[in-house]
Amino acid sequence: MADNGLTCSLKASYKDFTLDAQFTVQAGELACIIGPSGCGKSTTLQLIAGLLPQEGGSLLLNGQDIGQKPVHQRHIAMVFQDYALFPHMNVEQNIAYPLKIRKLNRAKRKERVARLLSLVALEGYQKRRSQELSGGERQRVALARALASDPQLLLLDEPLSALDAKLRKHLREEIRRIHDETGITTVYVTHDQEEALSIADRIIVMHAGRVMQEGKGEDIYHNPASLFVATFMGEGTTLPYSIIPKTLVNPSSSSEPFVFKPLEGKHTIFFRPEHVMVQDDRNLPLAEYLPHLSFKQAEVQSCEFQGDHYRLACSWEGHTILCHSSYRPKTQMVTLGVRSSRIREYVDGESIAKHPLSPTGE
Amino acid sequence: MRKANNLQYKRFYRIVPLPSVVVLLLLFFVPLFFTLSSAFITEEGLTFLRVLEVFTDSYTVKIMLFTLLQATLSTLFSLLVALPGAYLIATYSFRGKRLILALSAIPFVIPSILVVLGFVIFFGNNGFLNGLLMSLFNLSEPPLKILYSFKAIILAHTFYNFPIIMSLVSSYWEHLDANCEAASQTLGANKVQTFLKVTLPRLLPAIISAASLVFLFCFNSFAIILVLGGGPQYTTMEVEIYRQARMLGNSGAAAALSLFSILTTTLLLIWYNASQRRLARSETYQNSKRIIEKRPATLLGKLLALLYTLSSFLFILGPIVSVVIRSFMASSSRSAAESFSLKWYRQLLSLERATGHMGSALGALTNSTLIALLVALCTIPVALSMCIAIRRRESKQSFLELLGMLPMTVSSVIIGLGYYLISSRLRGGLPLGYVLVVLAHLVIAIPFVLRTILPEYRKIPLSYMHSSLTLGAGRIRTFLQIELPLLKGAIFTGAIFAFALSMGEFNATLTLANSSITTLPIVMYRLIGSYNFQGACALGTILIGVCTIVFIVSEFAKGGTYGR
Repeated sequence: MADNGLTCSLKASYKDFTLDAQFTVQAGELACIIGPSGCGKSTTLQLIAGLLPQEGGSLLLNGQDIGQKPVHQRHIAMVFQDYALFPHMNVEQNIAYPLKIRKLNRAKRKERVARLLSLVALEGYQKRRSQELSGGERQRVALARALASDPQLLLLDEPLSALDAKLRKHLREEIRRIHDETGITTVYVTHDQEEALSIADRIIVMHAGRVMQEGKGEDIYHNPASLFVATFMGEGTTLPYSIIPKTLVNPSSSSEPFVFKPLEGKHTIFFRPEHVMVQDDRNLPLAEYLPHLSFKQAEVQSCEFQGDHYRLACSWEGHTILCHSSYRPKTQMVTLGVRSSRIREYVDGESIAKHPLSPTGE
Repeated sequence: MRKANNLQYKRFYRIVPLPSVVVLLLLFFVPLFFTLSSAFITEEGLTFLRVLEVFTDSYTVKIMLFTLLQATLSTLFSLLVALPGAYLIATYSFRGKRLILALSAIPFVIPSILVVLGFVIFFGNNGFLNGLLMSLFNLSEPPLKILYSFKAIILAHTFYNFPIIMSLVSSYWEHLDANCEAASQTLGANKVQTFLKVTLPRLLPAIISAASLVFLFCFNSFAIILVLGGGPQYTTMEVEIYRQARMLGNSGAAAALSLFSILTTTLLLIWYNASQRRLARSETYQNSKRIIEKRPATLLGKLLALLYTLSSFLFILGPIVSVVIRSFMASSSRSAAESFSLKWYRQLLSLERATGHMGSALGALTNSTLIALLVALCTIPVALSMCIAIRRRESKQSFLELLGMLPMTVSSVIIGLGYYLISSRLRGGLPLGYVLVVLAHLVIAIPFVLRTILPEYRKIPLSYMHSSLTLGAGRIRTFLQIELPLLKGAIFTGAIFAFALSMGEFNATLTLANSSITTLPIVMYRLIGSYNFQGACALGTILIGVCTIVFIVSEFAKGGTYGR
């Protein structure tokens, strides 16, 4: 078991929901817990902070069991979704609140508040009242206040969800910068997969009170452990495995031939839209020499311009296939191609170990 | 496998509600126990005979029926007066509207003895209204002779209670989604059909809820019936309980009667709570106010709005203003006309030799002030500790919240009766009498203070407390530095409410106190009884002053303390 960082095994049951989650966060890491609403990610944070009681399980922070400590002795700071700035105190009093509890003298408090405010780029905001601050400023003050007590762990509960899109992007960069400057172990809860992918060292995907997958962003995006993770962390197309004989193009010269081998259970394939090639001239063959699936006579249902690409939804034999194209197709009927190495296979929603003859991943 | 753990601050939460529970149990259930036990226990031991006897007696049955009748009629008349006003306020914007709404808060804070006095001064044979009508139409006789009759009771109840219905219904009405009416009209219904089929059904829960509240008030009305009813033929339950206990010395019968009262009040409260819940469910309450820029379009509409505004002013403010005016008037000799004079205030402050009951006025003023101060100081910690405990178990139907509201199920006359029965067993001196008055007022004030503080406490997001805990503050420190400062306003309002409630408390005090105990309302009652109305008006003006402060404070408190 790691001596550094957070190791938790949380168990709690509520009226209509059971939480049973195990995961670890290395010291100095920024981990994101992500999942749809109601998956238990906020509950997980409150269990770590001690705001909700645990039933069994264990909670180790830097080698110390903190599962039975009261909230205020855990040295875990938390930034709440609504920031929870105390409305009867100004910015300085808010940030100095934990310092006063730790009995720092006035001069030291003043100095530390100034330092924290410059860390969150709000120099000179000491005397402002929290009602006078914008959403983004409140968020920064809440962060400064959480950092004031030198916590061993920082918890952020959807800290950007109340802000508009542009500010959100800017502030998540700020949070990353502040994290890198302080090096504090951080758990960040969000429901926004883009936010998680861009900010986190490690992503923990939760669903219905359980951890579905834990790992680096790239891993989770490219090798989702289940169909749930695959569809939650970005877009893609799910098709039954049985369409393969109809669509497989297996060049004999290929060194990695694809063998059709259906399995028991609901056997499906999944691929991301950016891995689909779109060909609008039927007479030209797909420029592909490796095994791939070819969907002929797919009808373009919609074509949305996204700036750097077009997002197409095509209908092929009753299935909808999502793809990204760098140009707008000139014809209604197109041919789509996906390299077999881009295809992930799932049986009953769970990723299967690739059988020997299927291509190995990249 | 729920482990005992300290992270939920069990000890804090176990200790905090203790004082309030103990206080409520002692102050509420002990007197209630005394009352009920004397209903069932006589010298011969436990018996149901007395209860049976009282309940089958034709006189009692008559009283019960009369109590229900007067409450029903009063509620109907209040509805009749209030609903047009509610319509005007909800549909139109006109001058004086905000003032009417502000004034309609007055009945919530005004003590009933003041209503009685105002009614006598305003509607009485020598009152302002008769004087006005006589000089307007050159009459030699007062045209309105309504005092000390059934009419007087209904009229007083109506003018005391219609603003309650008006403000409750109109505020609900204003928040109804106006698009429903628009939709109905686009679907082909005319205005009348729209009102009957779309507006009225949606409004009905609010009307029922407000009417039940008023019915409850009228059912438990005491001072108005006691003074304005003017005799045994118009006796209600509450008055009869008082009469049996204090005039006929038959506390056993009084206790048996209070059983009926408690039962009915409890049923009414349950019904009222259910109607409130229905109200909360019945419509998604719109946050944005519907746009009312419309002024009455027709001349008739304008006239009606004007008439309604003026008469509400007249009837809500008239009695109060006339009390103040009368207090500054005295006649220098028996036959001379009244002119401006400070005579009653000089008598009140003992600067001049006082006659009759005015002699005890200054003492009563000091007593009332001291009692009210004590009550205000004691209710706050009790209510606060209950709030904390209630907030913690928010998700469950809180037993404590119910406990805190329980004193409302028992009318103040019965609380007074309970304390009277205690005092007759203890045989303490005058100091004990005053202590019992304070305790009775405390029981009466706690539910109101709880209702003032609890909603404000619920407005504090849990994340404030949680974030204070994660920042390293313990539970007590969090309470002192986060909750307490945020509740300052509500606590102050609650304390003022408790103070005013105690200053104006009449029913319980009259029922429990012997003749040597004097408080402001008691002396007012005695002065009215001996026809020294101006003297009563001087005391009443002081009460009005207190109520005005409460009124202003509660209007300010509506703005909320911290906008988030």
